Amino acid sequence: MGSIPSHSLRALVATCLVAPVPSHAQEVVDPAACPFESSPFHVCALERAKTFDPPRTADGVPDFQGYWRGQSNGAAYDFEPSPGGFAVPASTGVVVDPSDKRIPYQPEALARRNELRTQGFLDPQAHCAPSGAPRKNFTNFGWRIVQPDGYVLFVYESMHDYRIIPTDGRSHLPEAIKLWHPDAVGRWEGDTLVVDYANMNGRNWLDMSGNFQSEHSRVVERYTMIDANTIHFEATVEDPTLYTRPWTLAIAFTRNTEANFYQLEYACHEGERDLQHIGAAAP
Amino acid sequence: MTNARPARLVTAVIAMTVISISIASAQPGAYEPPRLRDGKPDLQGIWQVRNTANWDLEHHAGSYGIPAGLGVVIDPADGAIPYQPWAAERQQQNFNERETEDPVAKCYIAGVPRTMYVPHPLQIFQTPAEVVILSEYVHTTRWIPLTTLPRYEGYESWIGDSRGRWDGDTLVIETVGFNGQTWLDHSGNFHSSALRVVERLTRTEPDVISYEATLEDPNVFTRPWTIRMPLYLHRDRDRLLENECYLYAEDAGRPIIGQHPEP
Repeated sequence: MGSIPSHSLRALVATCLVAPVPSHAQEVVDPAACPFESSPFHVCALERAKTFDPPRTADGVPDFQGYWRGQSNGAAYDFEPSPGGFAVPASTGVVVDPSDKRIPYQPEALARRNELRTQGFLDPQAHCAPSGAPRKNFTNFGWRIVQPDGYVLFVYESMHDYRIIPTDGRSHLPEAIKLWHPDAVGRWEGDTLVVDYANMNGRNWLDMSGNFQSEHSRVVERYTMIDANTIHFEATVEDPTLYTRPWTLAIAFTRNTEANFYQLEYACHEGERDLQHIGAAAP
Repeated sequence: MTNARPARLVTAVIAMTVISISIASAQPGAYEPPRLRDGKPDLQGIWQVRNTANWDLEHHAGSYGIPAGLGVVIDPADGAIPYQPWAAERQQQNFNERETEDPVAKCYIAGVPRTMYVPHPLQIFQTPAEVVILSEYVHTTRWIPLTTLPRYEGYESWIGDSRGRWDGDTLVIETVGFNGQTWLDHSGNFHSSALRVVERLTRTEPDVISYEATLEDPNVFTRPWTIRMPLYLHRDRDRLLENECYLYAEDAGRPIIGQHPEP
């Protein structure tokens, strides 16, 4: 029998892990590893990826299976660099293109973002909505990657959510179907898993700071293992109705190697009582 | 059936032996399922029941919000859940309050075994080390390691803490660690946190998994009892969509708040 980890303790640890405290982050990793801050990580990881030969599954694709956590530098709160505030950690930002680390909003969309930023109760995640792509990879707590033949599954601790990514070359759902969980279609490009998302309902936010998507958004995620315990995660977001050009973010996933670890249940809606305080307007 | 396991190692090499052994160890003329690389039966696909178990596990005529249906309890033979007297009364009270108090009416996680027979498709995935069952219903995740991973002592949850193993060609899933807040159906059949569920999944035809679950709960029942039903393979869809029940309730202006959904 193992002992039950205290969920509140784990929440605290998770908060510490996503908090951008570079000295702390550097203490827990191999000094030869890429730094976790997004811009230098992105450059370093793309270089490492050229030479690393990943472990492989029985059908020959890179084996990502196991427990992972995103080193997301406070980006769960804000994708852009931010000083933080009350109960909100600072963010070093995860946008690696454009180089100013800002999401290239069109003026009207930027105004909307700034308005949403003051209305955190509208954040769909506060209503236990699935977080969509790429946001799900920025939720606190970790996830398990499972690779049955022809699929890559992400089984998240957060809100018992999941992603099913088929890699059999199928096409997207008919456009009329709009989902909270965008339709994922994957493929392997060399040793990189590439996932294309469509059929978004456009109601998801990207973070807790009002950065947002629309139903016209398309997201392409790329996952590449750069050493046995690190995945380079990159996502390019495109939406001609919101942004002046496509933009890209990147973070590291690090492997959880704790013996006999398994994920606890994170039920969100069950017994939910926040709605009566934050307002139950549909997000 | 456990003595078939060493034989299976040999049979992975010699295909003809596979057939003769599985016939010898199962029912005469038993269906030979498709197999994975490791020789285990392939249960993967999108499955769903076609019965009324979600509304009532016992034999029942129709009533408000409940379609009539044959029961799925195969033991005891009379098809009735063997409640202790106090629990039978509690079930009747649950039945009367089902419209508001059924956890699934509140879009809560359906628990085990109900996740397997809510009226939504689920997809089964397998690797040699684990089984993952994902349901459309409120994106429910069941993760079932096929190992003896030690359990977290005292851990309780809505979906329970599962461990799986193969018994011949049957996937056996043993689940404990429930929080006692889920119901077994819309009619208020229920259990406590002491529930122990042993499920048995056997692919008996190309499009059928025979699904069986034995429920044991000394706080609520007088003895263990068993349900059985077919899960049918979907041939009209290649992926799950989603059922974000509580968000739909918000959209409809009927947000589900705390324990008391608004009328």
